[in-house]
Amino acid sequence: MIAVKSRYRVVIIGGGVIGTATAFYLAKSGIRNVAVLEKNYLSSGSTGRCGGGIRQQWSERMNVRLAIRSVEHFKRFDSEVGFDIEYNQGGYLLLAYTDEEVLSFNKNTSMQKEEGLDVELLSREETSKKFPFINLTDVKAAAYCPSDCHANPHLTTFAYARAAQRMGVDILTHTSAKRILTEKGRVTGVLTDRGEIESEIVVNAAGGYSQEVGEMAGIDLPTESYKHQILVTEPLEHFMDPLVISFEKNFYIRQTKSGNFIMGQGDKAELPGHDVTPTWRFLREMTGKMPEFFPFLSDMRVLRHWAGLYNMSPDGLPIIDRSCEIEAFYCAIGFSGHGFMLAPAVGEAVAEWITYGEPRSVDISNLSMNRFEQGFSREKNVV
Amino acid sequence: MAGVRLVSNLDLLVIGGGPAGLSSAIEAAKNGLSVLVVDEGVFSGGQLVKQTHKFFGNESFFASVRGFEIGTSLTEQLNSLDSAKIQNESSVVAIYPDGVLVHDMKNDQTSLLNPKKIIVASGASEKFIQFENNDLPGVYGAGAVQTLMNQFGILPGRSVLMIGSGNIGLIVSYQLLQAGVEVRAILEASNRIGGYQVHADKVKRVGIPILLQHTVLRAIGEESVRGAVIARLDEKWRPVAGSERELVVDTICIAVGLSPSVELAAQAGCQLKYIKELGGYIPLRDEDMRTSVRDVFVAGDAAGIEEATTAMIEGQIAGLAVVSDLTENCSQERLTYLKNTLRNFRSGPTSSKTRAGLAKLGNEFEEASFAKESPDDFTKYVGKMRPIIECFEAIPCNPCETSCPVGAITIGDNINNRPIIDYSKCTGCGICATKCPGLAIFMFRENEDGTCSVGIPYEFLPFPIEEQQVTALGRNGEAICNVKVERVVRSPNKTNLVYINVPCEFASDVRHIFVPSEESKSFVCRCEEVTVDQVRKAIGDGYTDFEELRRYLRISMGPCGGRTCRLNTLMILSEETGIPIERLSPGIFRPPAIPVSFRAVAESGDDCCEE
Repeated sequence: MIAVKSRYRVVIIGGGVIGTATAFYLAKSGIRNVAVLEKNYLSSGSTGRCGGGIRQQWSERMNVRLAIRSVEHFKRFDSEVGFDIEYNQGGYLLLAYTDEEVLSFNKNTSMQKEEGLDVELLSREETSKKFPFINLTDVKAAAYCPSDCHANPHLTTFAYARAAQRMGVDILTHTSAKRILTEKGRVTGVLTDRGEIESEIVVNAAGGYSQEVGEMAGIDLPTESYKHQILVTEPLEHFMDPLVISFEKNFYIRQTKSGNFIMGQGDKAELPGHDVTPTWRFLREMTGKMPEFFPFLSDMRVLRHWAGLYNMSPDGLPIIDRSCEIEAFYCAIGFSGHGFMLAPAVGEAVAEWITYGEPRSVDISNLSMNRFEQGFSREKNVV
Repeated sequence: MAGVRLVSNLDLLVIGGGPAGLSSAIEAAKNGLSVLVVDEGVFSGGQLVKQTHKFFGNESFFASVRGFEIGTSLTEQLNSLDSAKIQNESSVVAIYPDGVLVHDMKNDQTSLLNPKKIIVASGASEKFIQFENNDLPGVYGAGAVQTLMNQFGILPGRSVLMIGSGNIGLIVSYQLLQAGVEVRAILEASNRIGGYQVHADKVKRVGIPILLQHTVLRAIGEESVRGAVIARLDEKWRPVAGSERELVVDTICIAVGLSPSVELAAQAGCQLKYIKELGGYIPLRDEDMRTSVRDVFVAGDAAGIEEATTAMIEGQIAGLAVVSDLTENCSQERLTYLKNTLRNFRSGPTSSKTRAGLAKLGNEFEEASFAKESPDDFTKYVGKMRPIIECFEAIPCNPCETSCPVGAITIGDNINNRPIIDYSKCTGCGICATKCPGLAIFMFRENEDGTCSVGIPYEFLPFPIEEQQVTALGRNGEAICNVKVERVVRSPNKTNLVYINVPCEFASDVRHIFVPSEESKSFVCRCEEVTVDQVRKAIGDGYTDFEELRRYLRISMGPCGGRTCRLNTLMILSEETGIPIERLSPGIFRPPAIPVSFRAVAESGDDCCEE
């Protein structure tokens, strides 16, 4: 076990992709006296349970911007972080089943094009020509962005952690934060189950437990967690490049580098909480519907299924901000199921904020904590 | 609606149709409970179906009966009970909070059950060791060899190297020889034989060397096994440089122990504990075999590695405990009797490991005193045909006592006692010699012409005929002299007696007869082809949790779901980090426990559905 030092400049709570990416970008910009606290093992929370898709086609402009910035990083991940993360720029295919969906896809793609995204709307015939293995019955159109991609979330987390470690960051697994210590309205450290750590700055990157970490500092954060389930099949020779989504039919599916198919769905009936027990109902529903769209699945076998937490914000957009109640307490939370794909841009933004006093690469001013006090519009492109 | 079966109001679901599962189901069904046994096998009986040897133990629990016959007998008993049903070729693939998923493999269908109680009698899986090229065709687990050979009549190869000298390694070596396969050697890494002495004596006298403090370093071959490199180990279990040698074999059979199959118990929420003496992670459970989850019980190897007799008793106890939970008519006397029988069975020195393991669970079993010596009055009866009992180890077994028609052999109350024979009562019938599961009883008479008649229990082919010349072998399989067969006595249980005429000076040594007639890799996870070196390197790079290793290297992400590689990985992790395995987290056990097809789940029937 790595020894805990008595003081760090920055303590990051959460050893998922957001926490480790933030640590990596901090170390890269020269702030190396950093600790990442992880109560379990690396990627043990939401990161290690996610589908691994990296999408830029969002209905909210802010998500599109963060995603485009992230893809720039993912593209050169190998050279920037020094790790093969099974990155595959195979695109995303969004299927539209209703006239309303076609309309909103039209609207979204023009906004996305304004942001510089290489997205196009395909007719059913064009889609069928490109992706003959999908049953397109009732599909009206599809939005296709070839520069969307997918990668292995575990390896991405490990990559950031190892690279940060090489630059001097302490990755403290099996170390829980218990309380965030403050004095005169300013962060002074973190009490952990391995003792007290002094720290000038604390970052909440606790994913499914962001609300609880907020409470440790006495702050009420507007996030709550919901169980989402996912399954993986045995592998087939690689043939499916894009990640395919339908909001109407409520699914997403991708083929991993090792050939396995990973797929999941959302569950509107799920109540907030921290339960991650997989259920029979999920398996039954997925095995029932997925072979309709992907007939090759029906003879394939499910190897495992599991669940993770979506840490939801009220509008489905992340909260990346510095607390106005407690000085030097940063939050990168509420990713609403899309933290993995945004991690490079978010890690970079938080690191810039700490290093230079402001985020420089992407303008994230409208991801503040108190934006919900005014009216807001909700991200609609979600499963 | 096709494919929907109505299984409502099920009292008890038994997972696994081995000795523990079947015994528990019989117990519950006899008391009127509705019971479903879900069993993977084409035939029920679990591992019993491939056991061709006679079992040890108490005759009321089938001692001296061959394993596959026990399986058949239990299955018939269960089938005669109206409220019980066995569903073969089916597997419980997951236990969810909202139901138990059963996969019918024959029809590739699933159904969801909601039983009141569950007994997990899922048995064990084989441990497996790492050496270079252990993925070559020709490297087998002992269970696979038994299935091929004893169940389907297929020989695994012509020449075998056996790894492991526990009872399974010894028994399978003996069975291989019975099937006409050469066993070049049995390797044992420690400095003593793991299994019962009588089993070891059986293989030694047929000429199989048992090499203590030896291990296999490498399998030789490109397409399949052509040989093996073995080496001696020093006190710290490291190979001694220069001690390597090559054996020409086409099969390497691994029998290094079993670990309990706890995936389903873990999914059911049962608390696990790592207990080395019981084979690995086991569900915590009380004397009634109840786990930390009130409605879930465990029995047999899934509750800790032991053997078939204790598995049957544990099954009966669990079955009765379920009866007691659900009805008013549970016989407390019978429950007490069963617990006492189990206590008695485990009181001998060969159960010391089991006792130590159970003590860690809070279940204390005492060692009982047992009669160690038999009075040596053999020489008083010169000239009389009489048995020599070479049973020197206190093991729980008594068929010699119960089979003797004149009551000349006594074991007594403690089944671990060694037999005491009263030669004045003995008639020399030889029944004890054919019944002894350890083949440790020989017949003997001094003749007037200065020769001796020696009766050898013989279970091989070809079978000799009277007057035939055969080679007499000693206790280590060494040829002693050529002898003539006097007579052969066929026994219905196929342990036949061959009486040979031996010169007196050799008679006490003769115990058997010979009747004439590339890139090297050692894998931890074979599904995903992860090598030992990769695991060690990853641990060195800082991946020090099983789950981190799984996510980094894909260990346990294949179809086996970690059955063989989870424990192997944890052992390497423990070795590299110096953290005892008990303190490492075994990681997450995700459903389904075995792969299940989309079609099978999609067409599943729930037990609340109606036709």
